[in-house]
Amino acid sequence: MFNLRFQQLFFFVDPLAVAFCNDRFEVALDGVESESYRMGQHYDVVVIGGGHNGLVNAAYLAKAGKRVVVLERRHVLGGAAVTEEIIAGFLFSECSYVVSLLRPEIIRELDLPRHGLEILPLDGTFSPMPSGDYLWRMNDHAKSVRDIRRHSRLDAEAYDEFSKMMTPMCRFVKPMLSMVPPDPTTLNPKDLKQLYFLLQRFRELSSDERYTLVQLMTMSSADFLDQWFETDVLKATMSASGIIGTYLGIRSPGTAYVLLHHYMGEIDGAFRSWGFSRGGTGAISNAIADAAREAGVEIRIKAPVGKILTKNGRACGVALQDGEELSANVVSSSVDPHLTFEKFLDPHELPADFLEGVRRYKFRGSSGKVNLALDALPNFMCLPGPGAHLRGAISISPSMDYMERAYDDAKYGHYSRRPYIDMVIPSLTDPSVAPPGKHVLSCFVQYAPYKLAESTWEDQREAFGDNVINTIAEYAPNIKDIIIGRQVLTPFDLEREFGLTQGNIFQGELSLEQLFFLRPVAGWAYYRTPIQNLYMCGSATHPGGGIMGANGRIASQVILKEWKGSSPRSTATASKASN
Amino acid sequence: MERQFAALHCDRVKGVQLIMPIGQRVVLIGGGHNALITAFYLAKGGFKPVVLERREMVGGGAITEEFHPGFRASTLAHTLGPLRADVAHDLQLDKFDCEILSPDPRVFAPTSDGKALLFYDDVAQTAAAIGHFSAKDASKYAQFARSLEETASFFTQLASITPPAIDKPTPEDLWNLLKTGRSVRGLGKTGIFDLLRWGPMAVADFVAEFFETELLRAVIAARGIFGTALGPRSAGSTAVLLLRAAADAHPVGSAAFPRGGLGAFTCALAESARQVGAEIRTDAEVRHILIKDGAVTGIVLTDGEEITVEAIVSGVDPKRTFFHLVDPSQLDPTFANRMKNFRANGTVAKVNLALGGLPAFPALADNESYLKTLSGRIHIGPEIDYLERAFDASKYGEFSKMPWLDVTIPTILDPSLAPDGKHVLSAYVQFAPFKLREGNWYTRRRDLGDAVIKALAAYAPNLPGLVEGIQVITPQDLETSYGFTGGHIFHGELALDQLFTMRPVLDWARYKTPIRGLFLCGSGTHPGNGLTGASGVNAAREIIRDLR
Repeated sequence: MFNLRFQQLFFFVDPLAVAFCNDRFEVALDGVESESYRMGQHYDVVVIGGGHNGLVNAAYLAKAGKRVVVLERRHVLGGAAVTEEIIAGFLFSECSYVVSLLRPEIIRELDLPRHGLEILPLDGTFSPMPSGDYLWRMNDHAKSVRDIRRHSRLDAEAYDEFSKMMTPMCRFVKPMLSMVPPDPTTLNPKDLKQLYFLLQRFRELSSDERYTLVQLMTMSSADFLDQWFETDVLKATMSASGIIGTYLGIRSPGTAYVLLHHYMGEIDGAFRSWGFSRGGTGAISNAIADAAREAGVEIRIKAPVGKILTKNGRACGVALQDGEELSANVVSSSVDPHLTFEKFLDPHELPADFLEGVRRYKFRGSSGKVNLALDALPNFMCLPGPGAHLRGAISISPSMDYMERAYDDAKYGHYSRRPYIDMVIPSLTDPSVAPPGKHVLSCFVQYAPYKLAESTWEDQREAFGDNVINTIAEYAPNIKDIIIGRQVLTPFDLEREFGLTQGNIFQGELSLEQLFFLRPVAGWAYYRTPIQNLYMCGSATHPGGGIMGANGRIASQVILKEWKGSSPRSTATASKASN
Repeated sequence: MERQFAALHCDRVKGVQLIMPIGQRVVLIGGGHNALITAFYLAKGGFKPVVLERREMVGGGAITEEFHPGFRASTLAHTLGPLRADVAHDLQLDKFDCEILSPDPRVFAPTSDGKALLFYDDVAQTAAAIGHFSAKDASKYAQFARSLEETASFFTQLASITPPAIDKPTPEDLWNLLKTGRSVRGLGKTGIFDLLRWGPMAVADFVAEFFETELLRAVIAARGIFGTALGPRSAGSTAVLLLRAAADAHPVGSAAFPRGGLGAFTCALAESARQVGAEIRTDAEVRHILIKDGAVTGIVLTDGEEITVEAIVSGVDPKRTFFHLVDPSQLDPTFANRMKNFRANGTVAKVNLALGGLPAFPALADNESYLKTLSGRIHIGPEIDYLERAFDASKYGEFSKMPWLDVTIPTILDPSLAPDGKHVLSAYVQFAPFKLREGNWYTRRRDLGDAVIKALAAYAPNLPGLVEGIQVITPQDLETSYGFTGGHIFHGELALDQLFTMRPVLDWARYKTPIRGLFLCGSGTHPGNGLTGASGVNAAREIIRDLR
């Protein structure tokens, strides 16, 4: 405590030093333990971006005793996990709308239920078909099997087998979600040990499990499912989770992994379950923020960062767009690599090969969002009236060809004429998000390519929204009559409003060449960056996107582990030297 | 001799392998290039190989036939892989009347608006040609060629080893892995990451990392999708490109072919095998393989002849081997299921044209080098989107109306294939799916031929008037006439999940099969990619070790 005051005094009397940073600062620090040196302005860690990962990162750092500030550009916290009242009385989970991957250890360690987190179950997936039939899978496995049996006896049996096989697959991959990816190029014993550990775990699998795992890591979701099932609508609906957030079709290799990624959901220890957060996904961010605040984190909204300040290749703070400067020992960025390295830093501050890696990193947003305020419930022709089928996800994915054609449109720069739509009506499960008797319908729409071939999103936004509604109307004709208001978010809007470069919801495509030790940039998948004391903690790092929080948590561990004395001594330069 | 005895003793102790005295007969099913190469090495190893070929000629997919009176063509494959140098050396092919013609430029790629790009053997010369399109790309070409070569060296190493056993790696597996590991380390940190990143990537993204010229991108990317059910935007197509680069690291691949067509090449292979003691029988179709107690006992031919053998090597594709030649009840259900899932749906058709004269490409100035320029491969598919759209059609069971074509006019360098002054044009046509959604290949064959002539006419307007004869080989024909299940020219899809330890299926990628005494040596095994002979050599090595 004395030291702290001493530091403040020191800077108080020497105004020159207020122009901060390292040389002087380190001189000052020699032989002194504390590092805060300017009242209210200096932090141990500045976290850029108040999305769920940024908040998780901040909460863990603060729990470890660091003085942390989170800077959020918008007026509301949450990033893409945000709830806003766009239309009076209706609370929209604007972007991300369901939760499943949120790491249980985070819920536990941050005690999120106490901070208001409540997950309500999302029961099943309902896929209407143009033929007037439907496929309805529910959380109750036996019921799903019964409905699948209406379509194919063989598939009903295979569905059992399939579920049994996917469990060990998830078990194999899960621990990888909580680890720092090893560097496959070094002979560093630590990395080799990790790689050996992975190899050993692979070898411990049974032959059949290995076979399936290899397939999941390399195949297209369509080919993978073709081996198991024959019912078109079943395969189409299942394969849909393999393309979310990618600019790939269901027949493109690598999508089977994304399928697994979405299969790994876990809520309250139950595998494969998806849910809503009471109050919308924003409530998750708020719960984390609450936990962070309790741990001592300072959270500032409407504080857009303009620049990351560096001195001698070390990050030493940030400058806000209004000119205010905050100094810090560590800057932890939860925004994507494009913003972090190309917008907040000068290109000449980065090594050329790293910068090339950042520029090569693929975003290519491929999805949009249409949020509707409804006067009543949609009425599906294939299963009329209100019912339990509306309480789960409703998937417009009637056939494999439908899905593939949707992708074909996008490949050549058009939004899908007949898109894949994943809809939920959270107001059925959580009435608090809409006025009594009214409803919220949240539609995730794919594909909507970031770059349109012949037009701009500014011109096409409403046409895109109409197209989505027309598509839904083919299955539920009353939809057009019950809309009170709508919000259409194109990839362009996701970029502008939510800071997701090119509108990619996962801060970068989940394609094989951008996963694990290759995410976001080969050689820099360890949450560190070539700038000392600058870390990444967003979805652009391993293990990728979704409301997982794992990225923020692992990054906090890396930062804390490297924290020696006044600030982390990252091995960033060391690993570069070995290049 | 002592070593052999030791090996014999050792195998007896293990008790699972087959032990055959040297000099014993081994039957090979199918007389394609891989089987012939395996037969050669088996004969050298002291066995007595007997190759049984169903047709009247050996060669499988590498044959020369008269398709129109007076006109001969390499009916299916029209260029070499090329053959691995060590194999060519062992077989002493130069002694058997087999002259390899290597045109330079290798590839001529026209655009529909009268421009063209040429790819020469020489990097600088090619870069100069690219310079007409983009100075930036010209300067990057050398770097691209170099990194491709470096990365390919790793794949060359990988292609020459037997995929390791995952459960119980043998000392040799470990040694091989160590060697492979060394060659990986040789790539350096950046190289290793590039390799890891490129492998699963879409080839369109891969070429876009280097080049901006659409035509250049398309020609190089095409190599990653040849013979596959992948478009340039499909992830994993870069792995196929790199695998091919292992055989020939030139960015656009090989353009070599033998004088007399590919049939001359396989005849030379057969001749070489005969010289060392292999017996080669044509018109000998195998009906089925006899199995007792999980081990092969003999083979029955369609004419009723029965041959008792203790070891059989199948050079035909894995699906034909296990679902046509073997009694299904003899297969382990897990293995049978995996084999059923082995994807082998062909996408390539072949069109051979008998031409009254040489087609005129306006994209080529009518100068002296005209003939030379056309003597290599001609790439029709000027844009990534063109290739992608050609692929799109095949996803919905339709052949491309504007197909991607890989064309050769072999008669320019080898006039012996056609009457004086006339020419043969040979075209790989992609994409033509094995299963058509509407109609069938018997009724749609003509349409495919027309589509190809129309596509060519866009680049050589006088071509339709020159056509004297046409042969259309559909994927259906590839199955029924030439024995490729699903019409797949590589015996099975080249995709990430069907390569290396997964080719043809996980746990059985070491040329052995669950049936004792039955081995595989065709393209359906690792590395199994084009006319390189690599599968044949690798298989021979494993078989000899196992049989002794």
